[in-house]
Amino acid sequence: MALESQTDVSTLTATQQSVRAQRHVLLTLSRVWAWVFLIALIVFFSLSVSITSEGDVNFLTLRNSQNILIAITPVLLMGLGQTFVIIAGGIDLSVGWVMGLSSVISALLARDLVARGIDPTPAIFLAFAGGIAASGMVGLINGLIIARLKVPPFIVTLGVSFIVRGVALLFSGGQTVAGLPTQLRDFGNESLLYWVGGGANQLHFLRRPEVTGEQLRALDRILGWPVVITAIVVAIAIFLLHKTQFGRHTYAIGGNKEAALRAGVPVDRHTILLYVMSAVTAGIAGLLHSARFSGGSPTAGDPLLLGSIAAVVIGGVSLFGGVGQISGTVIGALIIAVLQTGLVMLGVEAFWQFIVVGSVVILAVLIDQSRDLIIGRAES
Amino acid sequence: MSKRFLLLTLVGLLVLSIAPMLAVAQDDDTITIGFLPGVVDPFYQVMEIGVRQAVEDSALPVELVVQIPENFNPSVQTPILDALVARGDLDYLIIAATDKEQLIAPLQAAHDAGIEIISVDTFIGDGDYVNGPVTFPLSYIGSDNVEGGRIAAEALAENVGGTGKVYIQNVTPGISTTDQRAQGFREGIAEFPDMEVVSEDFNNDDENTSVQQTSATLERESDLVGIFGTNVFSANGAGIAVQNAGLSDAVDVIAFDATTFAVEQLRAGVVSLVIAQKPFDMGYLAVQFAIAHNQGVSSLPKRVPTGYAVIDIENVDDPEVARFIYQVE
Repeated sequence: MALESQTDVSTLTATQQSVRAQRHVLLTLSRVWAWVFLIALIVFFSLSVSITSEGDVNFLTLRNSQNILIAITPVLLMGLGQTFVIIAGGIDLSVGWVMGLSSVISALLARDLVARGIDPTPAIFLAFAGGIAASGMVGLINGLIIARLKVPPFIVTLGVSFIVRGVALLFSGGQTVAGLPTQLRDFGNESLLYWVGGGANQLHFLRRPEVTGEQLRALDRILGWPVVITAIVVAIAIFLLHKTQFGRHTYAIGGNKEAALRAGVPVDRHTILLYVMSAVTAGIAGLLHSARFSGGSPTAGDPLLLGSIAAVVIGGVSLFGGVGQISGTVIGALIIAVLQTGLVMLGVEAFWQFIVVGSVVILAVLIDQSRDLIIGRAES
Repeated sequence: MSKRFLLLTLVGLLVLSIAPMLAVAQDDDTITIGFLPGVVDPFYQVMEIGVRQAVEDSALPVELVVQIPENFNPSVQTPILDALVARGDLDYLIIAATDKEQLIAPLQAAHDAGIEIISVDTFIGDGDYVNGPVTFPLSYIGSDNVEGGRIAAEALAENVGGTGKVYIQNVTPGISTTDQRAQGFREGIAEFPDMEVVSEDFNNDDENTSVQQTSATLERESDLVGIFGTNVFSANGAGIAVQNAGLSDAVDVIAFDATTFAVEQLRAGVVSLVIAQKPFDMGYLAVQFAIAHNQGVSSLPKRVPTGYAVIDIENVDDPEVARFIYQVE
């Protein structure tokens, strides 16, 4: 963009101008490509699901949209902190087991506090605080070793993930922590809004309507609490990364660490904070897991780690640091979830689902890289 | 320099190979039993309780060595097995082999080293230790997973009146236990002409994915009557998807393995049936078999099917059924 102002447009010939225009279109397209890709996927599944089911099944329904939103919450939460860390040129491989640790700690606290006669609501708040504190500690350890002892983040967070795994398994005794208060289950599975369809067509706010039988099946939960919490964390992340000095420092460290140091960015302190943030967002995912599945599971996050990194990368964050946006990670998570849900709705055989999801991840990153190529050309 | 290094290595190897013999030489009347389950989970924890109980109840001196792999995977279990054999003091090994083919050679080596093998929960070869390809183990004590899947199918069919579409929520392709449960379930459903398995999805042992896949399947198949979760996580996710779709009275969800968590979800109405194996029986019997063999009993059966219990909301409080819940504490 800066280059456009430097070039004297009046001296360009007509052909040069048309080439520039073409590049401009490509450039704009590549900036919004992730949106285009997501919309294309939704259109594809809407059509193909309707056609293959001869109109019996619809992809674009309120219920399905909510299913997809709730499905992305853990992956997205893990990906949010990770986005900051990767933009700053690091990586956090411990988030999976941190999520499990948080799930176990919060479940144990909720169960034991209620057993000691504390009211469920304050007990749940304390349990959540405990889960977040435990996660933050892990992040602090990651950050301290990486920033102060200068050990590569890949090694530190991998090592720490083993330790956290052991700790989570020890605390839980290798089992799912059961016996949680029902209020926690409600928090995980109820929502901000309720829509009773099937002819009744009523919208309810905060309180679940008392319905039975056929109406129960027509009841849609809109914006479940896990989705609301995740949306709040997304909003905070967008603000932090794109509107504050904290965000500018994050890009600066990822772009060029030496330059950031010389410019007076407190690189070490900032790095430590980033890993704490990453662990905390994973910890929030763990709390929500305990609530949704009414059990504290040490293995809750382990299967999600790669998916969360894939979401970040599909969203256009460079693994080499310095580049990326929160909105990209959100779209990345959505692309994976839409793909997985759509393939199941199409009835695609499970083994083919793996092949398709893997191919799309690579395709998405290829398109993203070609954007750099186009930008490079357009600016040269 | 290199010669010296070679010499040191040789001496080291010599010491290492003699050390086990020294250990064996000390061995007198004590029966040393190794226990190597598949992974850390409530099922094997209860089995270990059975093993320890049998050791405690034994009038003869028994020494127990327990090693638990961190993953249910032959490449994790085999090195632990080799290390147990290398101790040189084991008389018996009670093992839940994590793969029926890949564990044959390491177990044959253990047997050649003088250790008697007892299979619990899972088998090697085809499980037929009389006429099958593998006959060296003493016995196979367990309820095999194919049979468990078939029992799940029968219980589900009975619940839904033998008609309708069903769906399988499985963990990860390639895990022998859960794959066999799914296989048995398909075989069981095939016995009912009016029933059909519409599809099978893999959730990578993630409850969140299980919810997502089940929700999508419920959208696609509006007349689904049942879901088989091949482990507790799969069933829990499926049950939550069913509950949030308001279909709890229309779709039965079966959970495999009676962990306390599974039973809690049964009481909460998230799952409708829980299939319990009998890990305590397996562990207890295996130790007794080892002691009996040590005392010269020569007519031990090569196969002991321990069977299953099907738990539902009606019988869960019946002590005769409740005792099969995997209580660890």
